[in-house]
Amino acid sequence: MSTEVTCRQSEPRAALKLLPIPVSRRACGIPLVLLAAGLCALPSVVSGYAMTLAVEVMIAGVFASGINLLTGYTGLVSLGQAMFLGLGGYGIAIGTALLGWPLWVSAPVTLVVVAASATVIGAICTRTRGVEFLLITLAFSQMFYGAAIKLRWTNGSDGMTGIPRPDLSLLGVSADSPATFYYYVLAVSVLALLLLWRIVNSPFGSILVGIRENERRMMSMGYAVANYKIGSFALAAIVCAVAGILQSQYTYFVGPDSMSWQMSGEGVLMVIIGGANVIFGPFAGAAIFVVVKQALSLITDEYNLFFGIFFMLVVAFFRGGVLGAINTLIGKLR
Amino acid sequence: MSALEIRNLRKAFGGLQVISDLDLKVPSGQRHAVIGPNGAGKTTLFNIITGWQPPTSGEILIQGIPVQQGRPDLVTRGGLSRSFQKNMLLESVTVLENLRVACQAFHASRHSVFRSCRSFSDVVRKAHDVAEQMHLDNVLHRNVNELSYGQKRQLEVAIALCAEPKILLMDEPAAGTSPDERANLIKLINGLSSELTILLVEHDMDVVFAICDVITVLSYGKVLTTGTKVEIQSNPQVIEAYLGQHHA
Amino acid sequence: MQHFLIQALNGVQLSMLVFLLAVGLTLIFGLMNILNLAHGAFFTMGAYFGLVVANKTGSFWLALLIGPLLPFVAGFVLQFFILQPLAQRGRSTHLDLALLTFGLLFATAGAVEYIYGSAFHSIATPDMLRGRIALLGIEYPLYRLFIIAVGIAIALALVLVIDRTLIGATLRAGVDNREMVTALGININVLFALVFGFGSALAGFAGVVSAPVMSIYSNMGIGIVVTTFVVVVVGGLGNLKGSFYASLIVGMTDTFAQAFLPEAELFAVYALLIVVMIFRPQGLFGAVGRVA
Repeated sequence: MSTEVTCRQSEPRAALKLLPIPVSRRACGIPLVLLAAGLCALPSVVSGYAMTLAVEVMIAGVFASGINLLTGYTGLVSLGQAMFLGLGGYGIAIGTALLGWPLWVSAPVTLVVVAASATVIGAICTRTRGVEFLLITLAFSQMFYGAAIKLRWTNGSDGMTGIPRPDLSLLGVSADSPATFYYYVLAVSVLALLLLWRIVNSPFGSILVGIRENERRMMSMGYAVANYKIGSFALAAIVCAVAGILQSQYTYFVGPDSMSWQMSGEGVLMVIIGGANVIFGPFAGAAIFVVVKQALSLITDEYNLFFGIFFMLVVAFFRGGVLGAINTLIGKLR
Repeated sequence: MSALEIRNLRKAFGGLQVISDLDLKVPSGQRHAVIGPNGAGKTTLFNIITGWQPPTSGEILIQGIPVQQGRPDLVTRGGLSRSFQKNMLLESVTVLENLRVACQAFHASRHSVFRSCRSFSDVVRKAHDVAEQMHLDNVLHRNVNELSYGQKRQLEVAIALCAEPKILLMDEPAAGTSPDERANLIKLINGLSSELTILLVEHDMDVVFAICDVITVLSYGKVLTTGTKVEIQSNPQVIEAYLGQHHA
Repeated sequence: MQHFLIQALNGVQLSMLVFLLAVGLTLIFGLMNILNLAHGAFFTMGAYFGLVVANKTGSFWLALLIGPLLPFVAGFVLQFFILQPLAQRGRSTHLDLALLTFGLLFATAGAVEYIYGSAFHSIATPDMLRGRIALLGIEYPLYRLFIIAVGIAIALALVLVIDRTLIGATLRAGVDNREMVTALGININVLFALVFGFGSALAGFAGVVSAPVMSIYSNMGIGIVVTTFVVVVVGGLGNLKGSFYASLIVGMTDTFAQAFLPEAELFAVYALLIVVMIFRPQGLFGAVGRVA
């Protein structure tokens, strides 16, 4: 039952359907301006509930964008990205609550720690590919989840509370106010997106795409592919950790569930729904996901059951994600 | 010093000896073909030369330097580039992007994370040059999956050229091509720099004779004979086994 | 010494349970290149169905015999009507199918929770297997020895079938060259679905077998399935013998770690996984050194 050289290991295409990059500039122009205007004006025109939904969508979007870099662009499908989401939240919780550091110290230190650990974990995980990679990332995140539940100094399964929001008193506002927090999250999300956009259009980004398309050929071209995979893994982890920081600031709380396999699964689903590879895909996926989740929780208590069915349907039928389907439609209409 | 030298190469898969005591010297600038029936060990030989599989014993020297196993990227860096029998292309991007990425492999820009790839115009220029050389300049902006099979084979070889190799290994470049595409490919390969050493595995004798000066015949993992076109064509053992009547 | 021997036997017993799960997973993967992330659901399904049978008939043995039938049917249906058609339509690569089963994992976790709630249940040990037996200077529960025996017996039976019979040869051929086998008149789809069902049934069987020593509860599949994943990766995906040895290694590691370092819990197992991945990413018994 052994395998050999070519056959199952040379999967040149990733599971997730892709759109060619770059996204056309002209197509983005006007809708982008409208979107930006809408986002800035949001707090003044909508209710508190809609605003909290928007915050949730953005945080989920940042998380999904991190996953997208690893999964959509590099083709490494991981079921363990929630470990970095959780590490981000726990990082600032430990930094502020246990070590007494101010936020502007805890946050960067957290990100550095995440980057370092992601490099090590990535170096181990990227030695595998395909389904083995899937399993080993799942195993790693389960390990962190188990640690979070057991460790007493992080309150085990009760989680940690009292996570501080940024001190914006210099600007004369308080991040405890929903509108201010909304703008804070918006600013961070936009920064994250800009960063990702630069990365994806850079030579480094093009190498990641090449690895996804045909890893063996990239090695043949002369690229030390392993290093790039680790780099992608670490960058994705950092972005997920940023989302984790935002998440814990949003709820003033972090718990082991933020590292669960369910959380990883939700992130992957958002990427698949939104269409991997397109820079706005993860946010679109996050929006659809958050709305569906809210709707489901109103109808039924059996979230897992319906979510699972929804997940299966999306994987089976939405090969390009929603944005992919729209793009195909636009292509057909032209 | 030969461009490529293989000494005492042996490769066994379990009990099956696929290559035994293979010696080969390819001087710089030579156009050398390796032929033989299926199972003779040709693709395994290529995989070993390019670092994709380790030999059981023996040495491979590229420009005098031994090949480090398990690192095909270092083999390419050492001056030996390979094209594959089955198209190994970056399928969902354009022809230009395929070539650009290939040309970027040894360029300092490959470490850049923030600048746009298009801003490195010398890499893009190089990609255009290779495309011109391989007559792909009119399909540069097409996606790979829109190309004809023959064009894909051209791209397959073009990508290998982007590494500016001293030695080019081609694994059945004409595999599956139509007669027109084959003739076109032969013309393109013959148009390459005469300083480039070429090692070719091919089944199609027309292609072999059109491109190569020296031919090595493999049989059951061993070298049967090495010689010029003429010598091989008139060697009775070879004729009997591999060339068939009409080349006699 | 006595304590050590007891732990060693406990380790082997756990290994056998994990092996029953791992073998189904790895068999399915090796033959069909499908990774069923929801494999734990069949474990749970078998246990609950066995519980129903045991409660209705009062017989453990009937539960053991009939319990695995539900997972068998479920597995067959999943493969034949869902996974196979998707794979054949070319819409889904192996990775897609693995993700699909991930969704199934969510769904089954939810379904089990919904149907059974979070209460704990159990099946009583059959009379014939109650009590302890004197062995090598210790007294060890007879039922646990039974589990060990069953595991070894199934391992031997599988090796015999896969290596020595026509069915086994057909399966191996089907993985290598599906079209060829179909052209020979064998309905490979039915065959694969049967194997999928069989692998799932093994998991269900493990569920029933484990019931007298472990509790039956809605999340029972999750805990053991992560250990199973570790076993399958350490043993080399698709490698039957590998999964047997890996089950032993992982089972013993887990048991001894829990006995002597209770804080460590699953960490020892994960540490093992990490070490193996660093030195042999293809698994201890997997195909040697692919470069890419």
